[in-house]
Amino acid sequence: MPERTIDFGKYRARGIKGHEAVARQLDSYLHYITTPVTSPRGLLARLHYLTRTDHARQAARDAGLTVTDDTVNAWLQGKRRPLKKNLAAIEDTYRTVRRHNVARYLLSRLNREGRGTRVEIHPLDQSLVNRPLQRVVEFRHLNIRHWDRIIEAWAAGNDRALDDAWIEKIVDLGSQWGQYEYVTNVGFAA
Amino acid sequence: MAQFDAVDALLATARKEAELPPAQQRRMLREALNLSRAQVARALGVSPSTVGGWETGRDPGGEVRDQYAYFLKGAQAKLAALDADADGAAEGTAAGTGTCAEAVPAAAQDDTARQASSGREAGDVEDVESLAAPRPCVLCGRGARHQVAGYPQHLDPAECATPAPPAPAPAPAVQEAPTDRPSRRAPAHRSAGNVKTVKSAGRVQTSADVPDLIGDAVAAALTEHRGDVEAATAALVKRAIPDAMTLLDTTRKGGRYDIIAHPGIPDILRKQTTRGADQIWEARPKWTRPHLPAGRHEVASLDINGAYLSALKTHLPIGRLEHSEGNVHDRRRAGVHLITPPAWDHDTFLPHPLGNRDEPGPLWVTEPTLRLLLRLAGPKYRLCEPPVIHESFTSGATESLLEKFRIILKDARDTAIAEDDEVTGEYVKAMYSKFVSTMGESTYNRDLNRPDWMHLIRSQAFANLWTKAYKAHDEGLMVVSVQGTDELHVIGDWRHVFAEGRGVTEVKVKDTYTAGSPPADGDTNE
Repeated sequence: MPERTIDFGKYRARGIKGHEAVARQLDSYLHYITTPVTSPRGLLARLHYLTRTDHARQAARDAGLTVTDDTVNAWLQGKRRPLKKNLAAIEDTYRTVRRHNVARYLLSRLNREGRGTRVEIHPLDQSLVNRPLQRVVEFRHLNIRHWDRIIEAWAAGNDRALDDAWIEKIVDLGSQWGQYEYVTNVGFAA
Repeated sequence: MAQFDAVDALLATARKEAELPPAQQRRMLREALNLSRAQVARALGVSPSTVGGWETGRDPGGEVRDQYAYFLKGAQAKLAALDADADGAAEGTAAGTGTCAEAVPAAAQDDTARQASSGREAGDVEDVESLAAPRPCVLCGRGARHQVAGYPQHLDPAECATPAPPAPAPAPAVQEAPTDRPSRRAPAHRSAGNVKTVKSAGRVQTSADVPDLIGDAVAAALTEHRGDVEAATAALVKRAIPDAMTLLDTTRKGGRYDIIAHPGIPDILRKQTTRGADQIWEARPKWTRPHLPAGRHEVASLDINGAYLSALKTHLPIGRLEHSEGNVHDRRRAGVHLITPPAWDHDTFLPHPLGNRDEPGPLWVTEPTLRLLLRLAGPKYRLCEPPVIHESFTSGATESLLEKFRIILKDARDTAIAEDDEVTGEYVKAMYSKFVSTMGESTYNRDLNRPDWMHLIRSQAFANLWTKAYKAHDEGLMVVSVQGTDELHVIGDWRHVFAEGRGVTEVKVKDTYTAGSPPADGDTNE
């Protein structure tokens, strides 16, 4: 059995990559600003978050907000509205900076001083697969003690690294770990 | 001839087995002396669980049986002596159990026990030393000229049987075989009868083997706050959610199903905004009888005790909710269903089982509501048409998922009420109510993300209330109002129908008031 799925969805199984589910769950613990960036309220909230201190401004610049301070001030004072392109940049920057800021705390909560966190892995959805092609894939759970690489990759927004870090963990499921490359959900508490 | 010697030697060792008190007394004796199972086990050279086994009915054999019998006898004698000391009356000392020498405290037995017991078998006591000056006997307190294993005591029961009483009037010793006398020092609830057993993790255990998380937490909090009830209660209520989760984990040990805490949830169960609600209709009743018959009526406002606690017993979906369509209801599954509710023609005297929903059309209801509607459409009630199910999110269901959890909390609640223990009462209440309210998408309890369970448990509480209202109506009472989770207003002699009290099967009176207008002829004398 190949460990990595070659052509996922060929027989109409449904699911997402494990690391995407992990990122989704981690994101759910961030409590991003829910008002969309397109509304003045959501835009201002994000800009305030990114410009509160010099340190925050620097972090925003490092995260890829390549506009001058004058422009940002004009946005803050409502003299100008950002272009569509810049709205997307603000949203991206906001998410990156927010992840980066929270990562430290999430990491300590997930590692729990070495006790780790129980992770539930809900297998892919086979309800549309032809009956003879369906396979028994069970619900599994495992305890992950070292989250450092996962959190680091997630905070940096590096999907490839996150995938590698995640696969490195689910290998602990045993020889069948390949069945859990795609999942419907990965659940854990932080 | 050597063979005959061997037979002789064998016969010499063969003798009657030592007598042991009945199993339930063994533990009582040990506990009355404040000895742990481990201490006794260490002294006898066995494991603590072996001692536990002996205390629940198994019998030791061989040499260790003699040692154990020796320990129990000694414990009895010691207890009797302590009793006599405590009372100041010379009631039932070590008399009848032999000499004081048997009353060596068990803690001192570790290495002398074997010697002493084998010595006794041979008819003499080896560890006995004479004392130059009399020292107070460990049992009766009067001067003794001998010591056994370092403990000064009388060797002759006659000397020890009448200890110097602290009270001025020495009572005559009561000499009625105290061997089987249950100790008055033992806690009252253990003084008689069998040890209660519970089934835990697939094994039968005594209740002492299962940790009493609630009792321990309360005791610890009270100690920490030096008996300050309010501070202890506040501290316990604050940690109620994590404690409930720990209790839940403990109760699932050895269980058939895992608690699945983070299944992905379908969109209908997601909150649409941070503070908004999801699409599930929990069928909370809010109904008042539109018309009252003429005259003034005594209305009793009844309160259902522990409504959410009882509602923990409901069919809960175990795993991830799976989508299905069609007008079929599988009794082995539970979840949420999109239904078109049936028409309800009995609003003048019975509340709608769906609560007062203004919006027409299909709605998402939970399993308890659907089952209630199906039951009401069934041959027994025939109150409405069956609802039409359009689609469902369900999973295989069981009623026993939270059953142990519920029973532990219910028992703790009952005990707290019986003993008037306010701290435990408040703690238990906070545990189950907060457990239910935070098991969904709450930041206060991230260990469990089951909004479906939250809705199901709440709906079950509402369905239970509806059933109670129906029962009242069926027994001839007039139901005036059904509100919220636990409020039922009735006219009539409700004590025929419901038991009054504070247990979960009983109701308590919140209020009584008069309602209605006086009859026109002024006949009222109320």
